Parts: sequence; C-alpha cells; structure tokens
Amino acid sequence: MELSLVLGAWVAAGMTLFIFSFLYKDNPFYRAAEHLYVGVGMAWFIQLYTYSVIIPKVYKPLVDTIKAGDWVNMWLVLIPTVLGLSLITQFIPKISWISRYGFTFLMGYGAGLILPAGLATDFMNQIVGTIEPFANFFSLSAGAMINAIIILIGTLSVLFYFFFSVEHKGAIKKVSAFGVYFLMIYFGASFGNTVMARFSLLYGRFDTLVKYSKGEYFYATNWIILGLLIYFICEKIFFKAVKLKKT
Amino acid sequence: MNIFKKYIPLALVFVFGIVTLASYYVPHRVSESYMEQISVWENIVFAFSLFLGAISLLYSHYNKIVKKVDGWGYSLFVYLGFIVMIVLAIVANGKISDEGQMTALGWGFNYIYNPLSATMFSVLAFYIISTAYRSFRIKSSSAFLLFIAGLILMLGNIPLGDLIWSKLLGWTHTSIASIKDWVMNVPSTAGKRGILIGVSVGAAVTSLKIIFGIERGYMGKD
Amino acid sequence: MKDTLNKILKIDRRWLFLLLSLSILIPIIKPIGISSSSISSSVQNMYDFIEKIPAGSTVFLGIDYDPSTAPELHPQATAVMKHLFKKNIKVVILTFIAGSGGLMDELVRTIPPQYGKVYGKDYVVLPYMPNFTAVLTQMASDMYAIYDKDINNKPLKDYEMMKNIKNYKDFAASIDITGTALLDGAWLPLVGDKYNLPILGGVTAISQVGLGPYLQKKQIKGLIGGMKGASEYERLTNEQAKATSGIDALNIAHLLVIFFIIFSNIILLVLKFI
Repeated sequence: MELSLVLGAWVAAGMTLFIFSFLYKDNPFYRAAEHLYVGVGMAWFIQLYTYSVIIPKVYKPLVDTIKAGDWVNMWLVLIPTVLGLSLITQFIPKISWISRYGFTFLMGYGAGLILPAGLATDFMNQIVGTIEPFANFFSLSAGAMINAIIILIGTLSVLFYFFFSVEHKGAIKKVSAFGVYFLMIYFGASFGNTVMARFSLLYGRFDTLVKYSKGEYFYATNWIILGLLIYFICEKIFFKAVKLKKT
Repeated sequence: MNIFKKYIPLALVFVFGIVTLASYYVPHRVSESYMEQISVWENIVFAFSLFLGAISLLYSHYNKIVKKVDGWGYSLFVYLGFIVMIVLAIVANGKISDEGQMTALGWGFNYIYNPLSATMFSVLAFYIISTAYRSFRIKSSSAFLLFIAGLILMLGNIPLGDLIWSKLLGWTHTSIASIKDWVMNVPSTAGKRGILIGVSVGAAVTSLKIIFGIERGYMGKD
Repeated sequence: MKDTLNKILKIDRRWLFLLLSLSILIPIIKPIGISSSSISSSVQNMYDFIEKIPAGSTVFLGIDYDPSTAPELHPQATAVMKHLFKKNIKVVILTFIAGSGGLMDELVRTIPPQYGKVYGKDYVVLPYMPNFTAVLTQMASDMYAIYDKDINNKPLKDYEMMKNIKNYKDFAASIDITGTALLDGAWLPLVGDKYNLPILGGVTAISQVGLGPYLQKKQIKGLIGGMKGASEYERLTNEQAKATSGIDALNIAHLLVIFFIIFSNIILLVLKFI
C-alpha cells in the first residue's frame, strides 16, 4: 500500500478517535482536534472560493479586459468586485457603513427573488395540493378519499393552531387541539428518522475505523485506541486530572 | 453624510428588490438580461461575503494567542490546520484530483477535513440515545402520539422491524413499511403542510419588509 | 427498591454510549444479514422516473452534501449515478456545497469508468459555485453565462454532449442529492415550479419527513430518504453496496432506542406507584 494512504489512515483514525474521546471526558487531544477542525474547515472554504470564484470570475476577467481595453466588460466585473470588497469594511468601525452597499445588494436581490418563488412553492401549490384531490373526488379509491380528507382536516387544523392568536376557546380550541395531534405525528416521524440519520453518521465513522484497524494500515485504529487508553489511565494514576478550563 | 450612509443603501435595496421581483413575473428580453447580469454579480459579491467569517474567526483566535487567555495554545491548532490546508491547496493548484489521481489537496480533504467534520457530527448519535433514555417522557396523549409515530418510523426503517412486525402482527396482513409510508404521506404531511403555509406567509412578509426598508437589521447600527 | 430504580434512571450516560457503540460496531464486524423486501413509494417513483428517461437525454445531478452527511447520501449518489449511466443518460454534475469536493471527486473517479463512460461525451463536471440562487436563476436563460468553464477550466460549450444544451429546456430532469435544503428550498421553487423541470432527489432521513407535502402535490417526482432509502434504491438497481450493509448495522441500535424509551418510562410508572 502507498505510504500516503497509510499515513492518511493514521491521521484520519487519529482525528476520529480524538474527537470521540470527548465522550469519555474532556481532554487535550479532543481540544486540539476540535481547534484543528475549525482551522482546516476555514482553509477549505477559503481555497475553494479563491480557486472557483475569485481567480476565474474576478481576477482573470479583470486582467483580460484591461489588457484588451474592453472597458465596458471591465466595469461589469469591477462593480460586483467593489460591492464585494465593501463587505470587508465591516471590520473597520469608522467606515463600516460602506459595507451596507454590498449587503443591500445581496438583500434586495435575495428578497425580490425568494418572495414570489416561495409563495408559489410553499403557499399556492400547497393549497392546491390540499384541495386538488377533491376536484375528481368520486373517481378516487376509498383509501385515497380518506387520505385526502385527513390531509385537508390536518392542514386546516394546524393552520388554526398557528393563526388564531385569539384565546383558544370552544370550537377553535377543539380544532387547534386537533392540529396539535397532527404536529405531534409530524414531530414523532421526524424523531424516528432523526434516529436513523444520526446513527448512519456514526456507522460511517465506525465503518472507517474498522477498515483502518486492519493489517494493511498497520492497525492504525488499534494503536491509537491503546495510546488514548494509556493516556487516560496515566492521567488518573499519576496526575490528578489535568484541569481544563473551557476556552 | 446620512444620504450615503442610509438613504442610498435603502434606495438600492428597494430598487434591486422591486426590479428582481418584477422580472419574476415579466418574461421579457430586458428582464431576462437584467437577471442574467445581476445573477453573475450576485455570485461574485456572495463569494466575498464568505471571507468575512474567515477573517473574523482568525482574528478572534489571534487575539486569544496574543493575550494569552486560558487555553490559548489550542488556538495555535486553528492556525496550524489553516496553514496546512492552504499550503496543500497551493501545492495542488486548487485541484482535488488530476488525471484520476488524488492530489495533495485531495489527500487533505479525505484524511483531515473529512474525518474531522464527519466525526463532529456523528457524535450527535450519542445524544440521541441519552435523550431516549433520560428525556423521552410519555406523559400525555400528544406525547404518546409522538412516540407511536416515532416507533413506526424506527421499526419501518430497519429490516429487523419488518421481521418483528410480521412475526407479531403478520395476521393483520399489514406491513410496517406500508404503515410507515402512510404515516409519512398522510398525517405527517398534513402537519408539515400547515407549518409550510404558515412559514411561507411569514417569509413573504419579511421579504417585503426588507424591500421597503422596514426591516434593516442587516445594515447594522447607525 | 425506589433508590435502586432511581439509580438506574440516573445511570452514568457513558454506559449508554458504550452500549450504542457496541450495538453498531458488532454488526459491522459480523453482519446480521436480514434483508427487507419493502420499497417505499417515493423511492419506487424515483426509480420508475429514471427508468422512463429516454437514453441520450441529459440530466443534472447535484452532489450537494459534505462529510457531515456523507454516510447517508454518498450511497444514494452512488446508486443513482450508476443507474443513470446504465440507462445511457448523460449527466451534468454540479454542486453548491463547499465541502462536497473530495466526495464528488471520488464518485467521478470511480463510477464512470465502470460503465465505459467518457468525460465530455457522457458526463461533465461543473465547478463549485457559492450562490445557488444566482446560478439557478441564470441557468434558465443561458447556463454558459455562469458556467463558461468546466471543473478542469476548459470551455464547457466545446464538449460534445453540451453541443445542443443551453438552458433548462434541454434537460430531462434534475436530481439533487443534498444534505441541506437545496432540494425544496432552491431547485424546487427556482427551477421545478417555475420552469417545469422535473425535480427528484435524495435527502437525509431528517429532511425526508418534511418533504411529504411536495411529494403529495407531485412537485417532487421521486425521493430517496436516508440510509434506508439508499438501501432500497440499491436493491431496485441490483447494486447492493454500502447502504445495504449500513442499514444492517443499524438494526440493533434502533431497537436499543425503542427499548430505552419504553424501559425508562416503565421505571417512571413503577416509581409513581411505590
């Protein structure tokens, strides 16, 4: 096996186990890995934006248009660049107001774009989806009829629960209480699926650790676990738990 | 100065907002080319906005190191990780693989970033089990409903659930999978749809508030 | 008695952690091997939809997840990509998620060669773009205004498969495998509902439940949810892989959660009466 892969396995197994070691108790290995993650993650983003946007969409077009004397196209790149750079003034209190130009551009565009799209997808279409089955209700199967009625009642009662800010009394109280049941089913279903989602991630890590525990990787997982065990035992016996204050 | 600090930005958000909104409904060549140009701009401005987070994070850890606050040594690891990854990116010229071969940057992704990120999130699984044991209390009818829905989903998601259901309740000629499908497609859909409609109205109002300059939290303090 | 029960309720949670770890670790080393025959309706719809796409059509495949959700979504993306290539559908691969880089790269390095697919003729990979709203809006009129180059920095338009492709009208569908809200928050409102491009996708189990309304209205034509959905798709396409072994390893852990909920509530009930 290639050296880089073996080295990679040791690094990956180390990072994984250092973070898991927190589950036993807080310790310097976890702290180091956690901080490393912050730095690595940030660097990953920075390099990506640099290589996928800043260089090909800003730097190169600017250089090319200036060289060619193509002023119109130069301005078309320069304007968003200046707007983008204006955001950085956030860090200089005296001139931080300049960043408003960048932000207003982003906010205006975003709000104008999302408003109609959101209304169509999450408002209009959902209302249509609720009443649509009733258009040809009697051609539906018995099961589909019942489902259509349940969805209608459920949607309406949840809306009642949300929208009537008046005191919930009498009929409204009953309807909105019904809405709570539908919400509970939704939350329960979400919980059930969250269990699977979280466990899948854990499976992913364990699966990798098992892979790295094999001979071809020189038993990376096993050795690192052993090292951590020795650390925790030593810590308990020789030192009176290194006190780690939260940073 | 107020005109530059306040009124022009508010006018800009109004103009960009209204024109973008209008071009959703007006299919015309002019509105199309407006959207085309403005989208390219947006992509560039947005990329810069992401540098903000990076600068503020590096700055805060720099402060910790300079002031030697408790645990400042760990802040060195932030810089270590940052520098290692940036160096790998420069070496690989921003490429993850080249002609089917993993580059140095690809190595950094697969063996440093990937395990750190994935493990950070996988730890949440342990909190699920501790929540299930310590906080999932079935004390009311709605909590019971929540549990039943969760139970159906959990059983329906695993092959052993199928097996248990058919052994215990096979005589009902139903399957846990079909019940799970129904729960997700009918009552849970109704619950979520109510939320969706409610939230979409709220979002629309917020968008309008931004366009008309009523909501201006993003502008910071005067 | 009361004290003992109280003690059991307040057990050091690290024991629970250990139990959970073993419940997943042991089946990884020694699989249980029970297979499930059920296929959920949304996964079946997804499979059927792709089956019906004519060979030679072009689709988008969004690889919009990062390592934090990869164990669920990577198997989905793998299964879908294999299915698309098997059906000789041309694929434009793209991402709006910064952390997807290495994962997308792995898919593209390993899968196309298995089906003899050639870069530029059968599939292309677009570079990462940070802002999906801008990109998705732009691609409605002319995708090359934003994607003038592919991931290798070569002119995108020059590739053979891109000859007759300009905007959404030239695509048969968009499939987005995502760990964020890109499917229902971006592709659907900005592309699916607006330009009538069929939208399909794969999401984490957590997001799956919330997408019910869009499936009922058929705004989303098919959906794979979480590891379970991925395992079903693997079975439909006859490519048993990571999700099949993954869901197997999750069997005991799920039962453990159910057991803990019931067990702790019974203890509470008993405590009430003694």
